[in-house]
Amino acid sequence: MTGIQLKNVTKRYKENQFEITALEDVSVNIEAGEFVAIVGPSGSGKSTFLSIAGALLKPTEGQILINSNDITHFDEKKLSSVRLNQIGFILQTANLIPYLTVLDQLLIVKKMQGSVSKADRIFALELLKDLGLANKENKFPNECSGGERQRVAIARAFMNDPDIILADEPTSSLDTKRGHEVVQQMAEQVKMRGKAAIMVTHDERMLDYCDRVYRIVDGKLTEENHLA
Amino acid sequence: MTLALKELLYSKGRFIMIGLIIVLISWLVFILSGLGTGLSTLSTGVLSQADFTGIVFEEGSEYSLSKSKISGSLSEEVSAQEGVSDTAALSTFNTSIRKAGTANSNEKITDIVLIGIAPDSFMEPDLVEGNRWNGSEENQVIADISLENEGYAIGDSITFSGTDKEVTIVGFTKDQTLYHQSSLYVSMDKFRDIRFPNAESANGIENVVSGIAVRGEDIDMQALTEPGSGIEYGTKEETINAIPGYVAENATITMMLWFLMIISAFILGVFFYVLTNQKTHQFGVLKAIGGSNGFIVRSVISQVFFLALISILLGIGLTSLTVLILPETMPFQLEAEMVSIYSLVLLGISILSSLFSVARISKIDPLTALGRAE
Repeated sequence: MTGIQLKNVTKRYKENQFEITALEDVSVNIEAGEFVAIVGPSGSGKSTFLSIAGALLKPTEGQILINSNDITHFDEKKLSSVRLNQIGFILQTANLIPYLTVLDQLLIVKKMQGSVSKADRIFALELLKDLGLANKENKFPNECSGGERQRVAIARAFMNDPDIILADEPTSSLDTKRGHEVVQQMAEQVKMRGKAAIMVTHDERMLDYCDRVYRIVDGKLTEENHLA
Repeated sequence: MTLALKELLYSKGRFIMIGLIIVLISWLVFILSGLGTGLSTLSTGVLSQADFTGIVFEEGSEYSLSKSKISGSLSEEVSAQEGVSDTAALSTFNTSIRKAGTANSNEKITDIVLIGIAPDSFMEPDLVEGNRWNGSEENQVIADISLENEGYAIGDSITFSGTDKEVTIVGFTKDQTLYHQSSLYVSMDKFRDIRFPNAESANGIENVVSGIAVRGEDIDMQALTEPGSGIEYGTKEETINAIPGYVAENATITMMLWFLMIISAFILGVFFYVLTNQKTHQFGVLKAIGGSNGFIVRSVISQVFFLALISILLGIGLTSLTVLILPETMPFQLEAEMVSIYSLVLLGISILSSLFSVARISKIDPLTALGRAE
């Protein structure tokens, strides 16, 4: 099957003699074309969940499968390659590289995979156009607005044609109008390109764009009855 | 690679600052090295520029030509030793000169080293101006070009202090200095005429010379230089190191050079480290979106490489400009070989100093990209 699966994932941190359970027996299954939101208060384990799903952190127990491929015991080098080829990250505050133009932000992903071809360049321009960033390709991040930067980050996440899109509070630095625009465009891209997408957010206004909503409290994940 | 260049172009101000440090350091290194080469030529030119393997001295002279007196007729015996392919007699004498016909004491007197050689021997210097001397014309001399700055020209007649002997400059050579003084080459016969006007001053040695320079490979002088034989043999290196002041002078400049290099390594290392620390978050982001350590490290090192390369080239340019404004009497000699060696060392040091940062980069956790600790 395609998409991402977390099976009975538990993550415990040791802090001095105390043990903190950040995630407890979390199981979730997100298929290609699904857009899922994870909501919860701060400190609930949202980031840990995202870090584990994003191959940035290893779980204490449980399994992570991407396209039915178990990545739980990969070493850092292999995880890095999983992130490069199978995961698209959209980070909290866009996190663009300050000295690269909008187009180069996208092409750097290809460069990290090896080389940039003409087709990559065309694909990047197409992505930017889809996200309403046509004619912005030669701008530097500091010349773009917050919403534009976040959309560049979305384009960058799709650039490597990943199986999974992970978004960490993509609207936290945007006003309501921009926030809606950005999440709407993200949802469109996920549907259009058939990706399994997880968005971690505390912004309940954005949940209408998602197929399913999970709530995470004290490391425990429960599915919510979605109103839509 | 392009990532590195793009950042260089984008954050110009920051990198110009670091680049400037490398420019200034390389500038200073090249000037010091030029000064060092210039000074050592001034001190040893006559010997270091000549192509010989070693010199036969009087026993107990400690490889110093000015202390040594042996008979020129030893040449034959020396030639017969194992490995010797050629010999050339050599004499030196510290004296002073002034222009002929200016006997009044107001005229300028210049200290020189008079060098006696056999015409056409391998110790004869190459000319940069004028004509080769005529073997039968004993009064012809070849002067080092530095005497031109003292007002001497080809065709000038000069006399030596303490004698009324007169010679004429027929040609100029260059970089032929000894003991920080210009040299004046005369034929061996004329040398004896000036240095030893009577038999007693030569200690009764027949055909007296200071030493006999030797050329050859795998020379074995053991048979000739046994204690008590009255002769000792010094290699070219030993002979040059025995020149008064040379080793101390050279060691001082070399020490300054290497200290400069070591200090620059630390300064650059700290700079790159601070720069890397500032970019921790950025590197975290690159890692989170799949950038491998190798990719980031390559990018950082190539950045340092470009920065150092451009700065060193600028340093070389500045040094060449400096040469133009240096006074001619300043002993300054920039050798392409030295410049390339020091450039490579500086380049190596710059890259080495960025290795601290590289170690730091590989430890950056891509989780920092998430921008919060939980």
